[in-house]
Amino acid sequence: MGAYVLRRLWQMIPTLAGVMLLIFVLFNWVGGDPALVLAGKITNKDQIENIRKQLGVDQPAYVQLGYFAFEVATGFTCTWKSYTDKAEPPKLDAKTPGSAADSATKAKANSGCQAVRSWATNEEVPKILTTRITPTLTIMIPVLILETLLGVILAIGVAYARGTLTDRMIMMICTVAMSVSFLVYIIVAQYIFGFQLGWFPVQGWSDSFWKNITYYAPLPIALAVFVGLAPALRLYRSFFLDEINNEYVRTARAKGVPEKTVMMKHVLRNAMIPILTNIGIALPGIFVGSFLLETFFSIPGLGREILVAVNRSDFPVIKAATVYLAMVTMIINLLVDVLYKAVDPRVTFK
Amino acid sequence: MENLLEVKNLNVKFRLDGNQIFEAVKGISFDVPKNSTVALVGESGSGKSVSAMSIVRLLPKETAIISLDSEVNFEGHNLLRLADDKMRAIRGKDISVIFQEPMSSLNPVFTVGDQIAEVLRLHTRMTRKQAWSRAEELMNEVGIPNPKLRMNSFPHELSGGQQQRVMIAQAIACEPKLLIADEPTTALDVTIQKQILDLIANLQQRHQMSVLFITHDLAVVGEIADHVVVMQSGEIKEKATAKAIFETPQHPYTKALLSCRPSVDQRPKRLPVIADFLRPEGVNKDNLVQRKRGYEAGDQIVLEVKNLSKKFTLKDGLFKRREVVAVKDASFKLARGKTLGLVGESGSGKTTVGLTLMRLHNASSGEVLFDGVDLLKLSEKDFLKYKRRIQIVFQNPYASLNPRFTVGQILIEPMKIHSIGRDEQERTSMAMALLTRVGLPDISFYKYPHEFSGGQRQRIAIARCLTMKPDVLICDESVSALDVSVQAQVLNLLQDLQDEYQMSYIFISHDLAVVKYISDQVMVMSEGDVVEVANSDEIYLHPQHEYTRKLLGSIPKGWHASTVPTA
Amino acid sequence: MSAAFMNTPSTAPAAPLHQPSPGLWMLAWRRLKHDKVGMVSLAVVIIFLLMMVGSYTGLIAKNWSKEAGVSYANPSFMAGAENLEAVRTKADPNAIKIEPVDLSDIDPLAPRYKEWAERTAKIKTTETPRAETLPFGGDKWGRDVLQKAIKGAETSIFVGLFAALFAVFIGTTLGAISGYMGGKIGDLLEWFYNVFTSIPYILLILAFAAVFASSPQLAAYKGVPMVVAILAFTGWTGIYRLIRSEYIKHASREYVKAAQAIGASNSRRMFVHILPNVSHVCLVQLSQHVVQFIKAEVILSYLGLGVPVDSVSWGTMLAEAQSELVIGKWWQLAAAGISMAILVTAFSMLTDSLRDALDPKIK
Repeated sequence: MGAYVLRRLWQMIPTLAGVMLLIFVLFNWVGGDPALVLAGKITNKDQIENIRKQLGVDQPAYVQLGYFAFEVATGFTCTWKSYTDKAEPPKLDAKTPGSAADSATKAKANSGCQAVRSWATNEEVPKILTTRITPTLTIMIPVLILETLLGVILAIGVAYARGTLTDRMIMMICTVAMSVSFLVYIIVAQYIFGFQLGWFPVQGWSDSFWKNITYYAPLPIALAVFVGLAPALRLYRSFFLDEINNEYVRTARAKGVPEKTVMMKHVLRNAMIPILTNIGIALPGIFVGSFLLETFFSIPGLGREILVAVNRSDFPVIKAATVYLAMVTMIINLLVDVLYKAVDPRVTFK
Repeated sequence: MENLLEVKNLNVKFRLDGNQIFEAVKGISFDVPKNSTVALVGESGSGKSVSAMSIVRLLPKETAIISLDSEVNFEGHNLLRLADDKMRAIRGKDISVIFQEPMSSLNPVFTVGDQIAEVLRLHTRMTRKQAWSRAEELMNEVGIPNPKLRMNSFPHELSGGQQQRVMIAQAIACEPKLLIADEPTTALDVTIQKQILDLIANLQQRHQMSVLFITHDLAVVGEIADHVVVMQSGEIKEKATAKAIFETPQHPYTKALLSCRPSVDQRPKRLPVIADFLRPEGVNKDNLVQRKRGYEAGDQIVLEVKNLSKKFTLKDGLFKRREVVAVKDASFKLARGKTLGLVGESGSGKTTVGLTLMRLHNASSGEVLFDGVDLLKLSEKDFLKYKRRIQIVFQNPYASLNPRFTVGQILIEPMKIHSIGRDEQERTSMAMALLTRVGLPDISFYKYPHEFSGGQRQRIAIARCLTMKPDVLICDESVSALDVSVQAQVLNLLQDLQDEYQMSYIFISHDLAVVKYISDQVMVMSEGDVVEVANSDEIYLHPQHEYTRKLLGSIPKGWHASTVPTA
Repeated sequence: MSAAFMNTPSTAPAAPLHQPSPGLWMLAWRRLKHDKVGMVSLAVVIIFLLMMVGSYTGLIAKNWSKEAGVSYANPSFMAGAENLEAVRTKADPNAIKIEPVDLSDIDPLAPRYKEWAERTAKIKTTETPRAETLPFGGDKWGRDVLQKAIKGAETSIFVGLFAALFAVFIGTTLGAISGYMGGKIGDLLEWFYNVFTSIPYILLILAFAAVFASSPQLAAYKGVPMVVAILAFTGWTGIYRLIRSEYIKHASREYVKAAQAIGASNSRRMFVHILPNVSHVCLVQLSQHVVQFIKAEVILSYLGLGVPVDSVSWGTMLAEAQSELVIGKWWQLAAAGISMAILVTAFSMLTDSLRDALDPKIK
């Protein structure tokens, strides 16, 4: 077990290196000259040259990759330049000068380490990410729990009634429900329940967790669960049906096990294995959250932040978010694989 | 004798795609007397399993239709009319079932102890604790070593034989009056099969229950059954006591089944098949022309294998690698026009030998001398011209032909690769001729593999090899997946082709009777080691090695063996 | 049990000599023909595809950008309803500003409205008499919503179809190589796959979108080709995984071993022998990904990361519809939402039917 976890952690290194390489290639080459992206409408050659120097993109590619690796290693809390120069932090005021230049920045200037900053707001990137994650998780954790519970319960019911008219009707409704764009659901629900009926606030967020979860979050959560339920139900139903066709189910019946027990004990226990896999795949996604919901309901979450960054070509934020989330994904995958052992006795850690 | 179970006029149909109806069981009737073993024998598609499953109502509800006038009377009740919960109370208590594949029949995520205890808790008033200790006793009774420890094992941690023992423990837990055993030994090695058969016979005696034993193998039937019901395509062809079936069979189909399977003590030139028995003159079983087999002094050696070894490396732990030896220092010679039989249980490495010597696996060391050339040392390019001279027929007729190719394409492809035949037309006519040779009509050329039965597909696979006129043909369990009557036909074909083309065969099989029948020399393998190599008759009469003796002792002997009182 | 009766050969009627028997594709097609739901879905999909071709070649919906009606013209079936906006626009033709509720906070397109207005201003408007009603209503500029929906379908289906084709191509090629070759090449491709899948899918799309959008070299491909590329480069991983496992499975099948035994080369085994046997998986994946990508395109275009505003898509329609709904103009939302729902439902059901019909269990 210990050896297995160690080996898995060891195997993460090349994957993480690959993620960094992919991001580096994308943002430093494919995306065009980062300096030009940052400079925006500035055309003054000297100014651009200056920005280029500050960003380090005048250096050869491997040096730039080294800078990036250093940033990743410090969790984006320290840039290579600030670490080596102990100089003034680069004034990246090209786009929105001084919009978020807080006093803390100056205080930290002398400590040597300067965190990577957003091009757009000059905010420290690690801070952006850590503050935005709470609203996202406030929405997504209840969504994941509700969706899984409801999905499994309904799927058992539907699988139990397999082949009947009810089953076929529910599957039909699911297919149709899945074909309507998430956008349409949000637009319509926000209009009806927010604007028209006024049952829920149209949008907004507060600093109080309690107020958020009871006042602002219910509509987005309900929407996400509603939209996620149809595909989950379809998928989980197929897991149950796969299990029902196994021979051990016939053995259970031959033993005289009642049909309900067959379903709730023998089948459910086995179907938990693919269901857990599926949750494992979905789990990293909760950190990105539903950027659509966050945008529509003005929830200051990570998804919205990333979307804003994409619209502003705010590369440091996107890069950091991608690396962070890739690491989170890998850790979650490992945890899920370890959890497997609890569900599936056939799993051996080799 | 009083009957425990009476099946009357049982008729089962299945709904297929597109509103088609398939009649699987066509109104059969038979009885199972108290305290006796009845064998339901038939080939695939005979409806034997369907009949057995309809007794306990385990057929899929969605597709199976049991006609209304069918009756299954058990202790005064017609089981087919019983309410669902009453039927459920009988299943596992009065009638229990064991299946063919013990691995997939046990629930993988529960311990075997739990699974045995579950049936006790369902049908008796035992507490959790009582059920657990009773389950332990049952594990002991069915011969699982160290039952206390094994109770907490999961099914995958047990061997196939032990899994089947767990299934049996589960089945006899509530002292059933009837045990239905659906091909319980088919998936097991021959030595394990013997143990399981003995166990079932033993339990039947001790618990005074009746057993309905479903099998395709008449030799097994002879060992275990009191009464035999022979089925073919949904109908009963013959039912009688085991003695009558084996000594004075009436129906030609029964006669054919009895004699088309090779036996260890006879080697007729041709195996009689069903068609022979349907002819008015019939077949005199004791008067068949016999064939002599065995290597002789003047034999020309076409293939010599020296110290062939194959190791697989598996990743184990962080940096460790583990070596598994599949074949260790195998050496043998193959003579022109003769057959070398390769026999062993699963995991013995017999198939690996075949695949390695034609380089479908890379050998770890050793030499394969063919025409004096070491095939293992040749470059891929140089090897190509030798490829056509050694060919292979695989086990699974359903997987060995590309389903997207027509039979014509399948036959012409190797000719193209090896530039056999001048043009498409010549190749086509060669392919047609070969189809005729293996006993298939010309029209087959335009058909796809899915339109053929298992035996026919194996003929196509043989024809594909023949296009290249190989010197050596490797038959890797080539007849194992076939029904006995079809098996006999394919074996006859292989014999004819050997006589005609003077091909040498390497015949790989787990089936000792078939190997004995077709081989000149036999090589016995066990866990990668070559245990013994000798002429076929010699090895069966005077086995030298302990393992060979054990293997030969496990062959089901059929009727004659069981009439002789065992010591 | 059931296996026993499945083995019974279904006696096929004897075909006349020299006529090839139906192959597996033909049999699958026959099964599909028996599936009523599948056939109806197929018909709907074909109608949409024809519509796409028709609007692409200019046969239909050619004048979608023509401002044929008054601003927010009512649908014909609601001819009597009052239309305050139209009245207002008529009174003051320059006043296009209708924003009863400030949505700029939640509307990601807010910064682009000005840009749009500029672009629309550039399009020379030929003053034709404007209709009071249009078949399914009009948008802010009085364009026919029905025609817009048809034109939008063209963009969305085009993107979905080609992105799916590319993704299936990438996934199948890499999956085939990785599954068949294994070894070092297989490890390399597995690494590549792991890299792509360790970034959450949405984030990957957004990262690609951000980079592609800012790239000066790719500026010429902005719009439809770029969306296709983004979706294909990020969406191949699932197909790769599936095809890889299919290739691993088939490479150990006896028919491939037999092909090796008769001397068929590696490439021949990979493409002539195995590929036709996994092609049905590709087809089902293609169909499934078209659906997935159409949905994704709609969202990307809504966010302004997809097709540019001057080429309408269902996504840009929904973006406009959001603010229209607040003033009670629901028809653009309905037109885009419903046409998309019909197509996607049909496509999903077709995918299910295809999967059933191509079920390789029947061999």
